[in-house]
Amino acid sequence: MSKKEKIKVLYIDDEPNNLVSFKASFRFDYNVYVANNTDEAIAHLRENPDISVVLSDQKMPDKTGVEFFEEIRKEFPNPVRVLITGYADIESVINAINRGHVYRYIKKPWAEDDVKSAIDQSHKFYITSSMLAIKNEELQKAYNELDKFAYSATHDMRGPILSVLGIIDLAKNTGDIAEVKEMLDMMENAILKLDNYIQNLHDYYSIRRGEVEITEINFEDVVKDLSDIYEVTSKMNNVKFDKSVNQGEPFRSDDVSIKIILNNLLSNAFKYQKKDNSDKRVDLNVTVNKGVAVLTVKDNGIGIPENSVSQIFNMFYRATTEEVGSGFGLYNVKDALGKLGGNIEVTSSGSEGTTFTVTIPNK
Amino acid sequence: MSQEKLNFIVIDDSKLDCFIAEKIIKNSGRSEVITTFQQAPDAITYIKSVSANGLMTIIFVDIQMPIMNGFEFVETFESLPQELRSNYSIYMLSSSINENDIARVKGYSSVKQFLNKPLTNASISMVLEQF
Repeated sequence: MSKKEKIKVLYIDDEPNNLVSFKASFRFDYNVYVANNTDEAIAHLRENPDISVVLSDQKMPDKTGVEFFEEIRKEFPNPVRVLITGYADIESVINAINRGHVYRYIKKPWAEDDVKSAIDQSHKFYITSSMLAIKNEELQKAYNELDKFAYSATHDMRGPILSVLGIIDLAKNTGDIAEVKEMLDMMENAILKLDNYIQNLHDYYSIRRGEVEITEINFEDVVKDLSDIYEVTSKMNNVKFDKSVNQGEPFRSDDVSIKIILNNLLSNAFKYQKKDNSDKRVDLNVTVNKGVAVLTVKDNGIGIPENSVSQIFNMFYRATTEEVGSGFGLYNVKDALGKLGGNIEVTSSGSEGTTFTVTIPNK
Repeated sequence: MSQEKLNFIVIDDSKLDCFIAEKIIKNSGRSEVITTFQQAPDAITYIKSVSANGLMTIIFVDIQMPIMNGFEFVETFESLPQELRSNYSIYMLSSSINENDIARVKGYSSVKQFLNKPLTNASISMVLEQF
């Protein structure tokens, strides 16, 4: 949180004089909201969800400060509550702490320094507990993914290994060299599949854990690198690969993420082709205009079944058995785009093929 | 031990694993017809339409597959008419060591047994001893 941004504080008291003097004393240090009654206070809280400290007078005509705190705790659990009262009886203090979950307690008439220290400490507590809540949520998400991962890893990582073991078992019982050679090719495929999975896994963790590193991106270079990689695939599988780049302005983003995105989309475009098509095509277009990069990867392949389109970005989801895939690729694409603040859209049909359109804002 | 011929159906999304299974089954010398499918729905269609040759059919089905997984396959199979099902014995295969999966297999009456991948000469002869 930047220093310039003032801590937002709400003060509730039924006496207008107290409100005026509170505001006068603290408006330079804090962003002060005041309320004459609890309804007004709730309105402030609804409008300003980032109010971090709420101070309330204990003795008010409609309800006590403790009752008010108890009431707002459900809807507004985050702001830290501070009770102010002139009646310093131990009973109301205990009540306040137990029922209203009050963090601090200030005696009336207040000393300015006491109030400031109460607000500052409350705010620190607020920041700590909000961070904790965010971390908890992240942790929960990580646990869920770990569960999914552990389940799938046994399948996707052991799968190819078990295939190889199966072939070894077969090969041991075969005397025919030609057949053994055929089996070696199969083992090679299984190992390549495993290697592909591990590379995807590596991508996944570089997106997850890695910090985004913003540098100037020259898309001509990026596309050149990718062309070198896909030139072979293009020739081998007889797929026409067209590339165009229109970048008239500098563009800043994370190089690794952009390569992961394009690499996954292209590898899918080449992979999911119609086998008997004599005019297989993959088009890659990059246009940078007015601070937005639009990347389009278009193929005339098998398309994505309509009922699968909404699920293709889910981890380990696979829409087809046509080709080997890890169920990781598009998940990684989506994840990387999340980090770049970008977006992805897909249109697909069995007759036209699939087009992915990625938009990434300049950083 | 009987040496009666049997039909086999192999359902696995991995082409390679289908190939392995087919080879191993052939090596056993007990196979009459071996049919492999990479998608479980195709196997269901086949089972519905194939005319029986009077032999018992053994199905090896992988658990983790896209589109229709092994459990979904078994559930769909169990919804077929009894006279259609009576000539089949199902074995479920998996590379996962997931205990939930293994426990779940026991819940299906039409599934004979859970087998670990890969199928080997040893595991297949163990299965075939029962027929």
